[in-house]
Amino acid sequence: MNDERKDGAMINPEGASEYLTFTLGDEEYGIDILKVQEIRGYDAVTRIANAPAFIKGVINMRGVIVPILDMRLKFNLGQVDYNEFTVVIILNVAERVVGIVVDGVSDVIALKREQIRPAPEFGALMDTAYIDGLTTLDDRMIIMVDIAKLINSGEMGLVDQVQTGSA
Amino acid sequence: MTIDMSRFYQVFFDEAGEHLAAMEALLLELDVDAPDLETLNAIFRAAHSIKGGAGTFGFLDMAQLTHVLETLLDRLRKQETRPTVEMIDAFLGAGDVLKAQLAAHQAGAEYEDPRIAEVSARLERLSGIAVTPPVSPALQPPSPSLPGADASASSWLIEFRPDAIDFQSGANLHALRDVLAEMGAVEWLTGEDAEVCVWRLTTEFGRESIVETFAFVCDPECVSIQADAAVSSPSRAPSDADDEAGFGFFAGAPGSERFDESPLDQEETADLNDPGFGFFAGAPGSERTLDQELDGFGLFGGSPGMDQVAAVANQARDEREQGYGFFDLAPGAPETGVGDAAPYDRPASGRAAPVAATPTAVAPTRRPAAADTSIRVGVEKVDQLINLVGELVITHAMLAESASALDPVIHERIFSGLSNLERNSRDLQQAVMSIRMLPISFVFNRFPRLVRDTAASLGKKVTLKLIGEDTELDKGLIERLADPLNHLVRNSIDHGIEQPERRREAGKSETGEITLRASHRGGSILVEVRDDGAGLDRDKLLAKAVQQGIPMPENPSDKEVWQLIFHAGFSTAERVTDISGRGVGMDVVRRNIEAMNGRVEIDSLPGRGTHITIRLPLTLAILDGLSVRMGSELFILPLTAIQESLQPTRDQFKTVAGKGQVAHVNGDYLPLVVLREVFHLDGRPPSHEDGILVIVDTNEGRAALLVDELVAQHQVVIKSLETNYRKVDGVSGATIMGDGRVALILDVDALVRLNRKTV
Repeated sequence: MNDERKDGAMINPEGASEYLTFTLGDEEYGIDILKVQEIRGYDAVTRIANAPAFIKGVINMRGVIVPILDMRLKFNLGQVDYNEFTVVIILNVAERVVGIVVDGVSDVIALKREQIRPAPEFGALMDTAYIDGLTTLDDRMIIMVDIAKLINSGEMGLVDQVQTGSA
Repeated sequence: MTIDMSRFYQVFFDEAGEHLAAMEALLLELDVDAPDLETLNAIFRAAHSIKGGAGTFGFLDMAQLTHVLETLLDRLRKQETRPTVEMIDAFLGAGDVLKAQLAAHQAGAEYEDPRIAEVSARLERLSGIAVTPPVSPALQPPSPSLPGADASASSWLIEFRPDAIDFQSGANLHALRDVLAEMGAVEWLTGEDAEVCVWRLTTEFGRESIVETFAFVCDPECVSIQADAAVSSPSRAPSDADDEAGFGFFAGAPGSERFDESPLDQEETADLNDPGFGFFAGAPGSERTLDQELDGFGLFGGSPGMDQVAAVANQARDEREQGYGFFDLAPGAPETGVGDAAPYDRPASGRAAPVAATPTAVAPTRRPAAADTSIRVGVEKVDQLINLVGELVITHAMLAESASALDPVIHERIFSGLSNLERNSRDLQQAVMSIRMLPISFVFNRFPRLVRDTAASLGKKVTLKLIGEDTELDKGLIERLADPLNHLVRNSIDHGIEQPERRREAGKSETGEITLRASHRGGSILVEVRDDGAGLDRDKLLAKAVQQGIPMPENPSDKEVWQLIFHAGFSTAERVTDISGRGVGMDVVRRNIEAMNGRVEIDSLPGRGTHITIRLPLTLAILDGLSVRMGSELFILPLTAIQESLQPTRDQFKTVAGKGQVAHVNGDYLPLVVLREVFHLDGRPPSHEDGILVIVDTNEGRAALLVDELVAQHQVVIKSLETNYRKVDGVSGATIMGDGRVALILDVDALVRLNRKTV
């Protein structure tokens, strides 16, 4: 996954790639913008029986059935409400289309690889295994996430190996 | 030859494959003791077509083998010898070699195998006395010579009303004409849609034969048959017309024969004809037929200039225009003179024409049908089309939903437009779906051979009965059905049908019977495999279950016991030899069927046989379903699973200690599946009696499903949840409803299993 991500991100001739940043609680995260298919509002979802709570359900996106995960529920970020400002980022990772609910989308930033520092071993909301590194933008710390790795991890319950766990 | 024949190779491969399959099927059908002449003819034609094609495309090895094959077949068909089982075996063997050769050519290689020589030798030995050496051994069939045939031929005027004829599906006047063409030359003296058809048939057969032929399709009273003095003799001309009719393909080609009659030099005609070049034979008759060429005969011209033939010829040309694109490019051939391409060489030596033409004239009767009704398209293109149409239907539903808020009076045009759109998109959907539909004979056709071979190797006598081969189902299903069916049939022969002596002891006929039957039932297809063998042995199955540690209820029903054979690992090698039960890979059979949203049921009576029913949806892409509501969620229940629904009363619900809830329905206690509980839906569950009980048929028997409300019946497009998510227990897929929301499609079998876990 990592390789794929880097390849995808290396398009910019100056070696800089673009990242979409979003907020979850007080923390700001960045993901490779090439993995983002679109950003849309939160729509009514169809619940999936016996799925973990953070899997809100599935929606119809122009004929494609897309599961929606709420990152706020996944990472226990207090107030979770759904209104017209709730944002869903539709990701296209590893041949899957998946939507994630976040608190808000803030920016698109261009970063060179060397601007991303390795993350120290401390707890963010996400396991450090899925964290690519940290970067600073206008004094704000942004946590760079390897979104493909995260989505495909057993933890997200999207792949079949966790089926027994939730069934 | 300037044409690159290689671009037609694929067509040849496809067609030769079909001919081979047809030949095999016919061979197996052939009753050695009472050979049906028509079957023999059909086999001959298949072999002949292959030979012609192989010769044209330069696959001489195939041409040679088919030639030998054909020589023997020709003798059979002319009833010079009687078929024997040995011959049939030799033919089948030759068919196998031809298949191998075909496959080799397809891969661009030559097929080398001692079997070729062996099979040829065997066939040659069987054909016994040497046959008249054909003019051109590789390409030319032996010229059948029935001298005097045309001398004795006479013309009959046949008058009938087409509307009095009871055609079987697919048949029409052309088919009738083609049947008659086997007897001799047919001319249409009236138009195709005339109220009263008048045909002229020139044949050496008598009046009775014609009446008999018509008796197949209509009351002989409706047909008047009179000798036609006018053209009675010499009767060469109508026989040519017959060729044209039958040969739609190379319309007008028979001009060469017609030529015989023309005042031109007879010798020359014969010369041209003898090498078998009759095909693109515009040339020989060209002078005579100039007028016809102007009439639009173009490259294939050369049609005789006589009026009564013109009608036929024109019609033949129409047929050609309809879609025999195959040889459209072939006219390049005449460049080399008379067209030595001769793709389907005819045994057209001028003098024997009336007889020789007969067998070949029939061959194309199938070809036109195949040629103008089929194009070969990649499945993925069709699938894409189906997906797009599915989207269209959904989009329409969404539009209709939004429009429903409008005032119908003011927006009348929108509403009428929408209803038009709905009708059109439904029609389109149906039309597109039907593209994928194929008759199940595609799978069934392999079984006569399989049964014959398997039974022979086991020393058993088995006949196979096929019923409902025309039942159509989705191509995807057909492909996936082949393996499971294969398995079931093999199992039936291996373990079901007993040895002849055992059968005799049991008071049954020595020959076992396996029936494969396909039929439509509601929105699904039933495929049944039935044998009259020993049946399953309940006690041995139970003993085996104990041995394998498979938990069984105290007093298991037969159904539960039979289900054991689907248990993975239940089939072991020792079992196969041990008991006359089944089991080899039955779990795979079941898995394959279930993967197609199908179900397998077994019924067995000891000593009477086993009956396996496979129930499949009509298609993989669309499902007839009932939408049911639970709380705010809609779910789709496949209609095929639903038996009935009813409003329960309180006293229908019972609990069984430790075993959960049951519903008392029509005297039966059915396991109750409360969907809300199984799916852990939120919201306050209404009391049971406020809901609706839907009785569903699962592979573990019936069950009662409690839902809040039945909403409506829909035809839904099945979407996979697994594309972007994963398999969800109790759900077989998802669909998009008219309002754009997603609804999950319930999998009743899984629900019952899930219910047991929940309770």
